[in-house]
Amino acid sequence: MAAVQETIDQVKKIDVDQYKYGFETQIETVKAPKGLSPDIVRFISEKKGEPAWMLEWRLDAYERWLAMTEPTWAKVSYPKIDFQELYYYAAPKSTEGPKSLDEVDPELLETYKKLGIPLKEQEVLAGVQGAKVAVDAVFDSVSVVTTFKKELAKSGVIFCSISEAMREHPDLVKKYLGSVVPKSDNFYAALNSAVFSDGSFVYIPEGVRCPMELSTYFRINEKNTGQFERTLIIADKGAYVSYLEGCTAPMRDEHQLHAAVVELIALDDAEIKYSTVQNWYPGDKNGKGGVYNFVTKRGDCRGRHSKISWTQVETGSAITWKYPSCILRGDESRGEFYSIAISNGYQQVDSGTKMIHLGKNTSSHIISKGIAAGHSDNTYRGIVSAHRKATNARNFTCCDSLLIGDKCGAHTVPYIEAKNASAHFEHEATTSKISEDMLFYCMQRGLSEEEAVALVVNGFVRDVLQHLPMEFMAETQKLIGISLEGSVG
Amino acid sequence: MNVAVMKTRAEVALTEGFAGVADALPGSDEVRQARTAAIGRFAAHGLPHRRIEEWKYTDLRGVMKDALPLAVGDQTKTTIADVIVAMGALGRIDAPRLVLVNGTYRRELSNLDGISGVVVTPLSAALQAGASASLSLDEEDRGSQALLALNAAYVTDGAVIDVAAGTKLAEPLLVVHVRAGGIAQRTVSRSQIRVGDGAQVTIVEMFVAVPGSIADGQTNAASEVVVGANAEVGHVKVAMDLGQVIHLANWLVELGTDSNYRAFQYTSGVGLARNQVRTTFKGENAKLDISGAFLARNSEHIDTTLFVDHATPGGESRELFKGVLDGEARGIFQGKVIVRRDAQKTDGKQMAQALMLSETAEFDSKPELEIYADDVVCGHGSTSAALDGELLFYLRARGIPLKEARALLIQSFIGEAIDKIDNVAVREALMSEAETWLAASI
Repeated sequence: MAAVQETIDQVKKIDVDQYKYGFETQIETVKAPKGLSPDIVRFISEKKGEPAWMLEWRLDAYERWLAMTEPTWAKVSYPKIDFQELYYYAAPKSTEGPKSLDEVDPELLETYKKLGIPLKEQEVLAGVQGAKVAVDAVFDSVSVVTTFKKELAKSGVIFCSISEAMREHPDLVKKYLGSVVPKSDNFYAALNSAVFSDGSFVYIPEGVRCPMELSTYFRINEKNTGQFERTLIIADKGAYVSYLEGCTAPMRDEHQLHAAVVELIALDDAEIKYSTVQNWYPGDKNGKGGVYNFVTKRGDCRGRHSKISWTQVETGSAITWKYPSCILRGDESRGEFYSIAISNGYQQVDSGTKMIHLGKNTSSHIISKGIAAGHSDNTYRGIVSAHRKATNARNFTCCDSLLIGDKCGAHTVPYIEAKNASAHFEHEATTSKISEDMLFYCMQRGLSEEEAVALVVNGFVRDVLQHLPMEFMAETQKLIGISLEGSVG
Repeated sequence: MNVAVMKTRAEVALTEGFAGVADALPGSDEVRQARTAAIGRFAAHGLPHRRIEEWKYTDLRGVMKDALPLAVGDQTKTTIADVIVAMGALGRIDAPRLVLVNGTYRRELSNLDGISGVVVTPLSAALQAGASASLSLDEEDRGSQALLALNAAYVTDGAVIDVAAGTKLAEPLLVVHVRAGGIAQRTVSRSQIRVGDGAQVTIVEMFVAVPGSIADGQTNAASEVVVGANAEVGHVKVAMDLGQVIHLANWLVELGTDSNYRAFQYTSGVGLARNQVRTTFKGENAKLDISGAFLARNSEHIDTTLFVDHATPGGESRELFKGVLDGEARGIFQGKVIVRRDAQKTDGKQMAQALMLSETAEFDSKPELEIYADDVVCGHGSTSAALDGELLFYLRARGIPLKEARALLIQSFIGEAIDKIDNVAVREALMSEAETWLAASI
């Protein structure tokens, strides 16, 4: 009950146009000139001190990007993006190689404090739950600080920014970068490959269970900048890691572009759990501004008996276009996708997953809950396919949508392709509004209408919330409250 | 990127072949103009291909290598006995029928005596009388627009069925499209069904072949159905034992207030079939049930594509499609349910299930929901799997041999769909057809 009350309070406090993370940090930055050209790609590569092969890789991606056209199949509409009007690189000036947290610009630390991200190690240690979380913070496009590195290194875990990884562990990066999401995978992945400026890199060695949760916070601060980060996570044989990702942006009238690529690789018996709380600025209540979130996330269960699990809570962004996927290549591998997508105002969400069954005895599980309110459109789009050799592939999909108000839309577009008789696929989906019977039942027992709605919604999304790491649970319940404000009678 | 797509041989033949047959096609001057306009529309679109989302799984441009010559003014020697044999188990049903052989109405084979309240006219006669408006049908997806345009340009005949308000017809009305003779041809037909307010009728459209006739051909069939207020319509389509044909069928249905429309589509033994149905709720509180069974083996390809458009409040829709796939067969189900802003209190349910009997069969399913009204209940489901080992074990543990156990399970699977047909005679005939088909797979 306490949690629900908390949600209600949150709902009362925060309106759609009072985005909590909407402040801007005044900080000096180094920017690349506006627009995109091979020179900009070279500029970024040089700034990062990258080896020559990386520059080649980027330029090749740029060439491929030029030949591609923007995808139009998603159920979202927005004015055409002028890719020459964006800044592709912006870095906080003070980050030229901070040796410790003390050297980090206090303004930045203040920013993270406002976001509620405990960067200082002692604060983490003193955390309420006593849980340790190693944090990599990415501000605009550059990784600012990574905590707990030493402790992680003791168990052999590498957790650093991807630019550092390119210098320190070139073999690993070379081997795995682009092996799950190739450069020419899609329009935005190609763009990202050409201009990504930073991101996180994680390598868990054979047989190691990562001793703490790893976490990255992304923040777009600068005006007109695109954020293009790249995350690469490799879990070697028998390894386990749980990774959290959070993101916010200031309130701006213009749209900002976020086009990230996340690649996960799980080798034999490895397990990766990837959780996202996406809270980019969604625009104001009239649909002005907000982040375009065009993200390619894909995991490759490369080894036998490997497992990749995606959990996402999507509440932000003006437009979301993302499909965290699993390629179930190894025999007996397993993919999971748990998602809550909440849209309000004029948000447009087109999200879902792909489960590609290639190996024998592979299984996948999809739970997707979409909640649409206001004038928003919320689409689940997913594919489950079993190839000829994927004997005994199993899938269960359940995607439910809830509509709040009569100006919004909820859509389901699943593709189910079984090319193998022993594949066993089940898909079910429902759409409904909050049942009046349920509300009546709750209100009859003394809850107000708002409380009743919050209770029903929390119950509706519980399947997914259960899969979130503890650290995110409380935050998510608050977010649900925020996003639904304005939709309850 | 503006790349002009090369026209395929079939597309060229379909576009340029029109001038050669235009004079032989029935219709007044006005109709002829409408036909010419339609061939222009087709030329602009070309054949549907997999880059069109609705045709993702059925790449007609790739499959249809060439256009067969149009069947027009058929004169094959076909007897009533031939027609009855072609109809299989349904030939035992004693009911009024309109027979078309290779796309031409054959009066001597038809039997429309003794039905009152229903006027059945061959479409060719209506076109001669100048009914050109009937050729302006359209669809939303580009692929089906092209096929409907082709249908309008080339249509040779069909049935125009007018059911007067309040008419209650006990026995079903059969429209039998028969293929006969030894020449591979393209047949183009269209039915128009208008059911007056409060009428009750069951119409069965059949596509069958005289045994021994050439197992090849191309069919482009369209049906327009307008269901009046409070009317109850059963509408069954049967396409069976046609061989290596390309069978393209489009239904466009409009439902009046408080009407009840129950459709069923049975497809087996068809090389490539695309059955598309678009239903639009025009009046409030209408009820719709579209169900079907498809049985495919060898390299057969059966595509069922439904659009259910809830445009008015209070509608109810149910879809249940079941398929049995053997050999290298491919089954496709695409079902899109749209609930418009005003269509409050809509209740929609959809289910597609495939049973795969071989390792190499394939089932692709895309049950789609697009919902803009908040006070609705909508659900869909899709499953595909092989026969359940535990169920087989259960039956065998009770002394039932494997073969019979399999037969029992498959029959009950497909029977659940066929049970949706209200008319007892039609239901039993189709169940017996399905059993005959299944016997070869067990």
